[in-house]
Amino acid sequence: MTKAIRPIVLGVLGLLWLAPVYLLIVNAAKLPADYSSAEVWKPAFGGALLDNMRDAWERADLSVTVLSTAIYSLTGPLIGVLIGAGVGFAIVALRLRHGFWWFVFVFGGTVFPIQMILMPLFVGYADAGLYDTRLGLILVYSVISVPFSAFVMRNFFSGIAHHVFEAAVMDGATTWRIFWRIYLPMSGSALVAIFILQATFIWNDLLLGLTLSQSDDVRPIMPALTSLQSTYGGSAMPVVLAGGLLVSIPTVLLFLATQRIFSRGLALGQF
Amino acid sequence: MTATFAQQEAPAGTGRGSGSGGPRPYRWSAWGFTAPGVLIVAVLLYLPFLWTTFLSFTRYNGLGSPEWAGLDNYQAMFSDPALLTSLRNTALWVAGTIIVPVGFGLLIAVLTYNMRFGAWFRLPFLIPYAISGVAVGVIWSFILQSGGALSQALDTVGVPGADSRWLLDAPLNTFVMILAAAWQASGVNALLFVIGLQSIPKEPVEAARVDGASGWRLFRSILWPMLRPLTTVVVGLSIVASLKTFDVVWVMTQGGPGRSSETLAITMYRETFVDSRYGLGGAVSVFLTVVTLTASIAYLRRQLSERKAL
Repeated sequence: MTKAIRPIVLGVLGLLWLAPVYLLIVNAAKLPADYSSAEVWKPAFGGALLDNMRDAWERADLSVTVLSTAIYSLTGPLIGVLIGAGVGFAIVALRLRHGFWWFVFVFGGTVFPIQMILMPLFVGYADAGLYDTRLGLILVYSVISVPFSAFVMRNFFSGIAHHVFEAAVMDGATTWRIFWRIYLPMSGSALVAIFILQATFIWNDLLLGLTLSQSDDVRPIMPALTSLQSTYGGSAMPVVLAGGLLVSIPTVLLFLATQRIFSRGLALGQF
Repeated sequence: MTATFAQQEAPAGTGRGSGSGGPRPYRWSAWGFTAPGVLIVAVLLYLPFLWTTFLSFTRYNGLGSPEWAGLDNYQAMFSDPALLTSLRNTALWVAGTIIVPVGFGLLIAVLTYNMRFGAWFRLPFLIPYAISGVAVGVIWSFILQSGGALSQALDTVGVPGADSRWLLDAPLNTFVMILAAAWQASGVNALLFVIGLQSIPKEPVEAARVDGASGWRLFRSILWPMLRPLTTVVVGLSIVASLKTFDVVWVMTQGGPGRSSETLAITMYRETFVDSRYGLGGAVSVFLTVVTLTASIAYLRRQLSERKAL
């Protein structure tokens, strides 16, 4: 008897949790003409989902936005993770003098809220001609990824025996070669994990994109979605919802595909 | 998790220790690897940080040069009713985020603990976590329209409240937005607690079972005490995240109507980028930073001293 209670409670809660997803999909699949705000729970078999997605894509001019956001989500974490790994390598393998304090300095970059840097970045970017440029956003997204990468990579490199480093030195390898050919390839799982977390963060970012860009060419996808919502939220709800669904697909797929890696990584206390 | 962090400190610590003496053959190349990270973080994170702190003591609208104003911005901040509302809302967000998503995450984790197909039962709660804050805001502002999905559901079931203006009346709008954010955040907390539960040694749990403990008693006397270190981490992360609440509120109400649902992060954005009051925006950011740091430090210290006492 009591055995049956847990699945039932969980099942009911789970259905409750999925209700917003149901509402999202069902209403994103209704033709704007068929949509009625008084009957949002009614299932829809119209199959207008793809049409609405295309509509959202065109109205918000998403093709260029998705391209920009993809560039940010790939280059930002890539640069950030390499620079962060460099810091970790110098501290752990090269035994940088006062390495711990340099680590504290770099990691301290994430301790304060991002609000503290918005205004000077906005003003400084305007002065330097970086405001509303892709280069400017790549730069800020890279920096944002550095402290966390340094944190994880320092931990990860600590797990690599120092003999590995010494052996490579004996063989005459330069430090750069040891970093590039030995330490980085040995840290595949950590690098991938940081990359995925930071790419998701950047894809989902609203605040930095909102502050540092305005044109359709440069603006990342989340600010684009908010303006789609404020423009068409009243007149074409299914299109807005289809847009919301569309921009979520990459991160949801990535998350479901990598969920196991993270449960394992978290269990090891690495992240 | 804290325990594992502590263990991992050890090898890095030896690296630090051995750094104080002996030859240092890689001094220059160590600098070469560290410099990019240190420079980029210094220029793009620390410099702006200091600049914002400086501006918070000035009058500045983005044009001309900042004019020293002493503590005027801070005084203005604490006498402005909109800012006091924002402060109260932020406190509600912190309290609400500790209670709802953390509590609910724990509940889901404990219910699915040692259960067949537990991972499948957890999946519905994890899906919202992968959705961005903006998309969560889009979905929930649709659900919470006056007379929208929630109202229709309540009406059908016959529960009163169907005619509530969810997003238009304060403080109701803040409460429902906390629930919307909880919909997103509970799953990952559940996942963290599951990992914590899995790392609990089997022996004491089995011993308690043999002694006849089950359900609530098992949770209260065995599982909960052993989850304490992890709970510290989860609650700490939730406090820090909730202090900075921006995306969901920005999408759902933009802090309105009439600034009634603003959080500190929204207030900062509005003062700076909408009203061009950089000094005041700076003061709000500095205040937010002080609160965030104080909260994390105070919380961690309390937890650490409690653990020592045990």
